[in-house]
Amino acid sequence: MSRVKSLSVALGLCLAAAGAVHAQDAAPVELKLWHAYRDSEEQALLEAARVYKEQTGVQVTPIGIAFGAYSSKVETAVPRGNGPDLLIGAHDVLSKWQRLGVVEPAGEDSTAYRAGAGAALELEGKRYGYPLAFKTLVLLYNPELIQDPPTDTDALLAAAKAHTGGGSFGLAYEATAAYYFAPWMHGFGAKISGDDVHLDSPELIAALAFARRVGMDEGIVPKSPTSELMGSLFDEGKAAFVISGPWFAAGRKRAIAAIPLPTVSQTGLPALPFLGVEGVFVAGQAKHPGEAAKFAAWLAGPEGAAIRQELGGQAVAAKDAPPLPDTLETSVIRAVLAQAETAILMPTDPQLPNVWEALEDALRKVMRGAATPEEAAKGAEQYRKVLSRPPPEAANPVPYVVIMVLVGLGALVWLCLPLRDPNVRQEIKNKKVDYLWVFPAAVAMLALVVVPFVAGAAVSLFAHSQGEWTFVGFSNFLNIVLSRDWPVTSPLSFYYTLVVTILWTLTNVFLHVSIGMGLALVLREPWIRLRGVWRALLIVPWAVPNYITALIWKMMFHVQYGAINALLGFGGEPAQIDWFSSFSMAFSANLITNTWLGFPFMMVVTLGALQAIPRDLEEAAELDGAGAWFRFRHVTWPLLKPALLPALVIGSVWTFNMFNVIYLVSGGQPDSSTEILISEAYRWAFKRDLRYGYAAAYAVLIFGVLFVYGRAANKLAGKKVL
Amino acid sequence: MAGLTMRGLHKRYGETHVLKGIDLEVDNGEYLVLVGPSGCGKSTLLRCLAGLEEISEGDLLIGERRVNDVLPGKRNVAMVFQSYALYPHLTVRQNMGFALKIAKRPTAEIDAAVDKVAEQLELVPLLDRLPGQLSGGQRQRVAMGRAIVRQPDVFLFDEPLSNLDASLRSHMRVELKRLHRRLETTIVHVTHDQVEALTLATRIMVLNLGVVQQVGPPRELFNRPANTFVAQFIGSPSMNILPAQGDEKGIVVDGVDGAIEHHARGPIELGVRPTDFEVTDDGVWSANVDVIERLGAEALLHLELGPHKISVMVNEPTPIEMGQTIRLQPRVLHAFNRDTGVRIPEPAGATS
Ligand SMILES: Nc1ncnc2c1ncn2[C@@H]1O[C@H](COP(=O)(O)OP(=O)(O)OP(=O)(O)O)[C@@H](O)[C@H]1O
Ligand SMILES: [Mg+2]
Repeated sequence: MSRVKSLSVALGLCLAAAGAVHAQDAAPVELKLWHAYRDSEEQALLEAARVYKEQTGVQVTPIGIAFGAYSSKVETAVPRGNGPDLLIGAHDVLSKWQRLGVVEPAGEDSTAYRAGAGAALELEGKRYGYPLAFKTLVLLYNPELIQDPPTDTDALLAAAKAHTGGGSFGLAYEATAAYYFAPWMHGFGAKISGDDVHLDSPELIAALAFARRVGMDEGIVPKSPTSELMGSLFDEGKAAFVISGPWFAAGRKRAIAAIPLPTVSQTGLPALPFLGVEGVFVAGQAKHPGEAAKFAAWLAGPEGAAIRQELGGQAVAAKDAPPLPDTLETSVIRAVLAQAETAILMPTDPQLPNVWEALEDALRKVMRGAATPEEAAKGAEQYRKVLSRPPPEAANPVPYVVIMVLVGLGALVWLCLPLRDPNVRQEIKNKKVDYLWVFPAAVAMLALVVVPFVAGAAVSLFAHSQGEWTFVGFSNFLNIVLSRDWPVTSPLSFYYTLVVTILWTLTNVFLHVSIGMGLALVLREPWIRLRGVWRALLIVPWAVPNYITALIWKMMFHVQYGAINALLGFGGEPAQIDWFSSFSMAFSANLITNTWLGFPFMMVVTLGALQAIPRDLEEAAELDGAGAWFRFRHVTWPLLKPALLPALVIGSVWTFNMFNVIYLVSGGQPDSSTEILISEAYRWAFKRDLRYGYAAAYAVLIFGVLFVYGRAANKLAGKKVL
Repeated sequence: MAGLTMRGLHKRYGETHVLKGIDLEVDNGEYLVLVGPSGCGKSTLLRCLAGLEEISEGDLLIGERRVNDVLPGKRNVAMVFQSYALYPHLTVRQNMGFALKIAKRPTAEIDAAVDKVAEQLELVPLLDRLPGQLSGGQRQRVAMGRAIVRQPDVFLFDEPLSNLDASLRSHMRVELKRLHRRLETTIVHVTHDQVEALTLATRIMVLNLGVVQQVGPPRELFNRPANTFVAQFIGSPSMNILPAQGDEKGIVVDGVDGAIEHHARGPIELGVRPTDFEVTDDGVWSANVDVIERLGAEALLHLELGPHKISVMVNEPTPIEMGQTIRLQPRVLHAFNRDTGVRIPEPAGATS
């Protein structure tokens, strides 16, 4: 009786819920807008949405996504229909987004835009998106220090020099990043996009030499500045000039002014930065494309622009935005707008990432003094050529498929061979239930381990270029193993990286084990007080997520502001060791960081293993006259070994693939020489032309190396060699 | 080979005072057995002798040398641990030769020494095995062998036989005795088994709560225990102790009829070993048989003597039945001060 009643109640609730859903259909539309804005720009966007709702009743919900994750989220979610109605993005990703179906062509739009803005969002004669704002580099300065900002580089260098010293720097900018190098490049007449790109042109060499002079020789620029460092220098009044964009001006704690970049005195040409045009796009598969287009036009138009200019501090593209008064507050926006008129639109050339990678490589070498501008430019040109080499010839997949099928069948037959034995068949029948129990785990293993592995391995047989996949058979492997693109001694060759990886693994494991074991042995000594406290403290490095530790160490290794150089100064002037300028120093920095991360595990394992060794064995040895070392060597160590060996194997595999530390601490510097196989594979997949197939081949080779190592370690352990 | 001298030896672990002033001379070639109840400090004393524990106060001499601050390895003593402490990853041969290897003796010499001892202890067929592949008794012999190979000045044994079964233990007792006779090395042997003590020792030291109760040859400890503790600890089954009063007429046990002639006066504790009774119709005491334990050649009677319970050993076969009342005559009496438990000495000239 009561069950029937509750059933009917539940039914009623369901119906009511269905009614509610139905009622919502009639409710006003809600537009979802994805963006990667922060701080004041995000505030402005929210305000614009509020005003728009008041005027039209249409609800716009901006959803902020972390800058680093933005494009990958957009590119995976939108084509699958899981995207929003509107997207904010820059013009240089447009062609990719259009190809992936992320964006729709723009609808009606009566707004007039400043020169270049509209054209930036055009593709094959069609306009996509509505231009919002310009992003480019300008010369920012501290108006309290600089009254009369320079308009050519000689004057800039002189003024910067005058404001350098006593912990202050005349000029702060990311001297080793290609984006910040671009103005000098253009100022010397070099170019990096178009049909006829040569990185070893005399113009580029001159630009590199100039960059070196500004960034290093004059001594006016702080070393390896991050945006946080530059920000705090500026806020403390310790940076007179900063080359950066409007994003730097946002949230500064002191007055800031800006003018367009100066002309290069040597050539008389202006130092022109790259220009980015940001737009709002109607997303592919938007739920309400019509409404979305209306809002986009409004946001880009005079009303939206006014809010973005006023609240967000944006250099807006709309012509009819309210005029800007000639005050200090608007100085940065006005400088960006002025610069936007001459700046060079960031090319969307598919080869650009390769040029970029090669250029940055050259720039770092020159800055470090590892190469003259001529050598660096020559190397960069070679590197660029290899990177932009077309993918390997397509191969005929038929023989591969035949071989795969045969191997697969062979494996299946081999697995089924024992079934010929009637006893085995009977055994399986008897254990039917047991197999049932194992079944879910087997399916999970298949889905989570085997399938991804096979899929990943399959990718290694393809080449990926500009979104096209070509079956190339074993070409990727042959290129890597035969080192066709580089001499074996180049940091980019597989063998160089393999040797570095092995060295990395050996040194790490040696240090982890010896430090971990040493501490465990000391912790066991009877004279140690507060044993528990020490033990807990020593485990802490392991408990902290390793990327946090890696970032902290990276900061501590900073050449000017790092704690390590300060300590090495022994109370006096900090040491001036540039930790990332030579292989041995950068490798040591990585090694120190990873040792810090790695010893606690070995210590814990050793402490556990020591518990199992009776104390009287060592006492017996002591009575037999053995010294501490002999006791360790002939009693403790042989008994620890069996417990330590598995930890050693695990530890070495972890270290072999310790991506986080390499990526975050040295980042492969200098010149990719401290890269290990796994981080090298990452660079091929995501930093150098999206060569997924090539990277997958690296991954398969890494697997092969570790597989052989694992087998060998097992064999050696079995034979008691280790 | 050397003797041992302990002078006012104290051992403290923080607040815990474990050894409270041990004074003892052990002559060269003596077999000293250390007995006492669990936790009385036997192992601690032995470990102090070995150097594994630091001595808190007092002096320790091996031969003429003060060794308080000498490292264990330099004292030239060999220890057999209760757990044997054989190195599990080394063969029997390597275990036995370990100390010589540390001393950097030539391989040939080590092999010869190991072979000789292995022969004596019948270990030759086991030389290439690992300790894990040996029985308990074999491990015990290897541990002995490892100590013997070193030819130390002093052997220290910490309950070496306690992990063996009864028959193996009695066999090994004989072996130890033989070994001592052959090597004539000073041995300090810790046990809580008083049979082991009585059979092996040239002298026994009884320890209780870190204090020496009595030191002497087994016979003396058995015949003239210095106090009630030693009296009850040495000898099996243990001595009956009864409260009694002594005067001119003799000793009368509290609540029991019948006086026995004795020189002690005043309130005392009277001790009689179960083996020192005679069951006879003209016995002075009358007792009720409560339980009879038949042990084969002998029977142990548990009797009610007035308000007290005593045990009496008689030879089998015996006609005595449970529930019966019998008369008893104690033959050897030990008298102790009732307050201190110390033995009341016999008058000069008297012998027991
Ligand atoms: N490291 C130590 N710290 C504190 N007290 C200890 C330590 N080692 C032993 N003791 C104490 O000293 C006393 C004597 O211990 P010891 O091991 O010498 O006894 P034992 O006579 O050998 O006993 P058993 O017959 O059970 O082996 C015990 O009360 C024990 O708790
Ligand atoms: Mg003990």
